[in-house]
Amino acid sequence: MYGWVDHTAELELRIEAASEGAVFEEALAALGELLSEHSDPDVSGEPVSFAVWASAPDRATLLAEWLSELVYLVETERFVPRRAERLDLGEDWLDAEVSGSRAAPPHLVKAVTYHRLAMKQQGGTWRAAVVLDV
Amino acid sequence: MSEPVRIDEVTWEIPPTARPDMRVPARLFADDELLDAIREDRSLEQLENVATLPGIVEAAMAMPDIHQGYGFPVGGLAATAPPDGVVSPGGVGYDINCGVRLLVLPLTAAELGKRKESLVHEISRRAPAGAGKEAALRLKGAKLDRVLTEGPRALLERGIGTEDDVTHTESEGRLDGADPDAVSERARERGSGQLGTVGSGNHFIEVQRVERVIDADAAAAYGLERDQVTVLIHSGSRGLGHQVCTDYVKRMDAALSRHAIELPDRQLACAPLDSDEGRDYLGAMAAAANFAWANRAAIAHSVRASLRQVMGDEAADETQQVYDVAHNVAKLETHNGREVCVHRKGATRAFPAGHPEIPADHREVGQAVFIPGSMGTSSFVLAGRPGSMERSFGTTCHGAGRLMSRTQARKRIQGAELRRELEARGITVRCPSNKGLSEEAPFAYKDVEKVVAVVERAGLAARVAQLRPIGVVKG
Repeated sequence: MYGWVDHTAELELRIEAASEGAVFEEALAALGELLSEHSDPDVSGEPVSFAVWASAPDRATLLAEWLSELVYLVETERFVPRRAERLDLGEDWLDAEVSGSRAAPPHLVKAVTYHRLAMKQQGGTWRAAVVLDV
Repeated sequence: MSEPVRIDEVTWEIPPTARPDMRVPARLFADDELLDAIREDRSLEQLENVATLPGIVEAAMAMPDIHQGYGFPVGGLAATAPPDGVVSPGGVGYDINCGVRLLVLPLTAAELGKRKESLVHEISRRAPAGAGKEAALRLKGAKLDRVLTEGPRALLERGIGTEDDVTHTESEGRLDGADPDAVSERARERGSGQLGTVGSGNHFIEVQRVERVIDADAAAAYGLERDQVTVLIHSGSRGLGHQVCTDYVKRMDAALSRHAIELPDRQLACAPLDSDEGRDYLGAMAAAANFAWANRAAIAHSVRASLRQVMGDEAADETQQVYDVAHNVAKLETHNGREVCVHRKGATRAFPAGHPEIPADHREVGQAVFIPGSMGTSSFVLAGRPGSMERSFGTTCHGAGRLMSRTQARKRIQGAELRRELEARGITVRCPSNKGLSEEAPFAYKDVEKVVAVVERAGLAARVAQLRPIGVVKG
């Protein structure tokens, strides 16, 4: 489950999920939905998939890296992400296959920031927060 | 967060004793009404955080258009000095050298007349605005390196811009020390197809009329007369700059413990000016800044091509560039006999009359500064004043400053309705996205006239002319 908190110069994504992997999957879904809302509806786009690999010393930074990789694909490959076909998490790395469509997504997200970046387990739930510069 | 104490009519300060980690005061230029709005978000807390940076001197400062950002507030200023001083990519922001360029056309609004619609349409066609739009100018390899090193001067041989445009650009469009090797391949990829594109968000091209001349001498020096048509270009370094900042925030964040730096916010990630990380960032940032000046030069070229199409050769050839200023940049400058790294994030350089870095034909009146209002409201041309050197490291405000979030703005007005309202007020609008249009509605921003009044009362800059929009191209 995810939601957006809107500030004056940024968008904050908040995620709750049952597992670490689901946090990453929810982050992808949120970005895909955000881009779809702002995309040209006349451009349907061909199906496309990409391999994504990222590493970071902790889970919160890895979440930022994951989203940064997707933002890079949005801008250079016109990629609108839909879902992770495969997502493997190591201690300090992530290896995934993501699918979606090649369309005309807006360059809405300039960057993924470290401002108030968080990902931790509380009880049985994983909670994460990441602020995007838009 | 501590309550600011009034220092004078428009200056407020939070003392460094407010928090154990603050090294200098947090200082703000605002009147009572703007301060009330500023208190509504977390920008003052963010300003206090900036005051903790190693090597910061004098104060962490904020202009009256300050609003909450991430790490640094938008509308903030920090000067750091060796040997302990740091450089922080977050103190510049992701859109390195976002800035504004003003062109003045050799015709009045009446002479443009009904051809305004065609001109706005043609500009929207030639200067790609909006997300994902590709530029006609796609540079890679050594050709891109030249732009990163030389800025808009590298485009002159392609017939883009003029020597006069270059000399009427802050730092003549070229920051020393630009290092293309410090720019990642990923940043190059993101930027290679974007030269000459406006981008989305709050970036725009606005066709305007000089509604009022306030300082006749300065206006004459800038080539501005009442009723004349101007074009204001607001854009930056696009994906290339976004990626440079992303790369160096990550690298500096990972090196914080090695440099024994503790910060209240990871987005303030920084490194000593004389460290490998600091030097590499300054080289990459300068390259991105040069790219941004070249980007605005390429957009100006599209504006002139549009004029040629709609109004003929004379109108295009006689269009002059007033000036081009950055409002997201870090620069090594000398203030009070000391070299400091001045971070301006949503803040504009505003050197006073006589400064050697001002173009010769403007030097007697002070550096030109452009303060865009929100869409549909006035923009202002200012001139730098001596108070900027005395009080704010040669700096003034950069715009109206956001008052409400994009979602709040969208909830208050539909894009189609706003489009009709603007057209009814004589403003021709070209924007592919109704959502994007409503997010930038005038009421989402502070009143630019109040912001400008504060910097004038503070002695940082003074009004020269007021510009009223008659056409807008947005992403």
